Amino acid sequence: MKVLKANKMWIPVFLLPAVMLFLVIYAVPLGMVFGTSLFDYRLNAQEMTFIGFQNYARLLKDPDFFKALSNTVIWILIQCIVHVALGTVIALILYKKPKGWKFVRTAYMVPNIISNAAIAMIFLNIFNPQFGVINSFLKAIGLESLTHNWLMDGRTAFASVTMIWVLFAGYTTTLVLAQALSIDESVLEAAKVDGATPFQMDIYVVLPLLKKIIGTTMVMAATYMLQMFDLIYITTNGGPGKTTTNLPLLLYGVYKGENNYGYANTIGVVIVIIGVVVMTIINKVLRVNEEDY
Amino acid sequence: MKKRWIVLAMTGVMGLSLLAGCGQAKENNTASKEKTGTDGVITINYPTFQCGVNTAAPVVAQLIEEFNNEYEGKYQIKLEEVPGDANYVDKIKVQLGTGDLPPVVYGGGYNLLDLALAKDLVVDLTDTVNEDAEWKELYSEASLTTNSRDGKIYASSVEGSVVGYFYNKELFAQAGIEAPAKTWDEFFEQCDKLKAAGITPLAMDTAESAWVTQLWMGAMVATSGDAGLEFMQTMNPSDYSMPEMIAAAEKVQKMLQEYTTLDAIGGKYENAANNFLSEQAAMIANGPWMIGDFSDESKTTADFADKVGSAIYPDGFVYDAPIQGYFVTKQDDPKLEEAAIEMVKFFTAAHAQQLGLEMQGMVPASEAVEITDEAKEKYPLLVDFMDQASEATVRSDNMQATMYSNLLDVISQELPRLYSGELDAQGFGDALSTAAAKNQ
Repeated sequence: MKVLKANKMWIPVFLLPAVMLFLVIYAVPLGMVFGTSLFDYRLNAQEMTFIGFQNYARLLKDPDFFKALSNTVIWILIQCIVHVALGTVIALILYKKPKGWKFVRTAYMVPNIISNAAIAMIFLNIFNPQFGVINSFLKAIGLESLTHNWLMDGRTAFASVTMIWVLFAGYTTTLVLAQALSIDESVLEAAKVDGATPFQMDIYVVLPLLKKIIGTTMVMAATYMLQMFDLIYITTNGGPGKTTTNLPLLLYGVYKGENNYGYANTIGVVIVIIGVVVMTIINKVLRVNEEDY
Repeated sequence: MKKRWIVLAMTGVMGLSLLAGCGQAKENNTASKEKTGTDGVITINYPTFQCGVNTAAPVVAQLIEEFNNEYEGKYQIKLEEVPGDANYVDKIKVQLGTGDLPPVVYGGGYNLLDLALAKDLVVDLTDTVNEDAEWKELYSEASLTTNSRDGKIYASSVEGSVVGYFYNKELFAQAGIEAPAKTWDEFFEQCDKLKAAGITPLAMDTAESAWVTQLWMGAMVATSGDAGLEFMQTMNPSDYSMPEMIAAAEKVQKMLQEYTTLDAIGGKYENAANNFLSEQAAMIANGPWMIGDFSDESKTTADFADKVGSAIYPDGFVYDAPIQGYFVTKQDDPKLEEAAIEMVKFFTAAHAQQLGLEMQGMVPASEAVEITDEAKEKYPLLVDFMDQASEATVRSDNMQATMYSNLLDVISQELPRLYSGELDAQGFGDALSTAAAKNQ
């Protein structure tokens, strides 16, 4: 008992470096971001002026902010639903180990290990209105009337940009598959004995056991969308108009174009708040932090 | 017990190393402020994007070498390479935030001068320039406008920005066009002729601030009358909804819809340049720095340079304004400021401007600088263009150089909507005005 008590005393000491790193690298800058969001803080002004919540009030009147916010939320929903569902379905197919499953597992992961800049360049060429694959294909099959500038037409830009990432669910597939392969055989055997069909086993036995990992991949998908910048920046730069602008891109525009650091940090605070809210909702809905049985 | 002490000691070392990291940063910062060496030589740390593959890199390297030789034992420039102009601007902006700027900053086309002035970090050069007749002579009226604020001289230019457009003589001949247009009506007639001959008239772009496209737009605004010209000569204009701007936007809409390549919408300058260099389009608006590309066989065919002609814009317009030059920033050490002023004077002297012209075809900032025979022989197209530019009747800076920096992105985002008809010309102008108002 004495040894246990003595060992417990060491825990704060060992945690200290990690806590200090966290404070220096994350907590202090985060505090500064919130603090400076309360100031009129611009590069082209001599001093910072305290303005309370005026930057937040400006947000509420800024149509660009609402467009970026709605785009971000829609992309989070699409990513959490379509992207994760796609990855999960592929994992459920692969976990039955059909012929070539290992190859598919590896091949499906490839787009996820290519840098976003390279992916963006590939899709810029795919969607190129003059010589891109899509327009060339449409012309080849006699549908020339459907060819247009996919990334720069307001009617198709959002969907085209979304296609760049939504189909590549390699991480989700890998994580869900790993979890599915670790399900105790006896559970599946018991379902078989009870007369469950393969489809019923997937829906009523396997999927519920994958709930936590699916929750985790949803959290990953949501954070990926909250951080999404480079793919949009390279392909459309948020255009046409603000059709594909999300919050990180808006923040960057305010920082770099307007040199308005206070307002940019206000958008940063909103991104953090959305992140916390989304994580909380996903954790609550899927009970990620609770025991299964 | 001994093991515990080792663990404790290691934990302590880790913690201290974190603190030491912070301490080191401060120490480095202090060291960077130590500009005077033990030998009495004052070192000017000079960060620049004009390095590596940048076209001005050889000129800057040569000037540094010459300066270090001339001021040996007194001053020394230490080059800090910052590849990429965007990275350089970011670096200077971060340093502006901390108030710790390098002694000499190159304003370039990024209007860094006003940002530094807002922080009261720029040295007033008025008296120094006025006391030096040779230096003063290099300041034209336009140069004074670019480099002065409230009657005080803060910067000194080395390079001018004289921009017209280039055309493909062979494609013009195929369409039955004999010479570049003198009026905008004639210009659009020529576009129709080229189109009728199966030739795409214009190489254009919309991405990354739409450099080529905004050159056409600005030329139309500047030649629309006094109000248009005044708009083009105004720093940070805020009303883009004025009739002259709307009329120009209407014409640009037509150009994007009817006279350019499909990939212009969303395309960058490189796409536009490639379309001109590969003879996919007959005209491109751009500056003399593109002349080198016409004989670069990695970019075009061997005989392409012979096919290119240069012209000023219709209605006698040419972009003609010195590029914002070097400025000296306030330093704790007055000797370092003196050294920095010497550097700026050296880097913008007539010799430096001639060197830029001869080495890289850079247009001198001052009309007082003579175009040497060597330059004439090396860059005949440039000399021909300079001759035409000297006869231009309307001149101004380009829109990009004068607009608020947040508009660079907005113009790229809104041009595709102007092309698709989602926005009309009035809506386009209003979108720019709204964005400009965010800087108030």
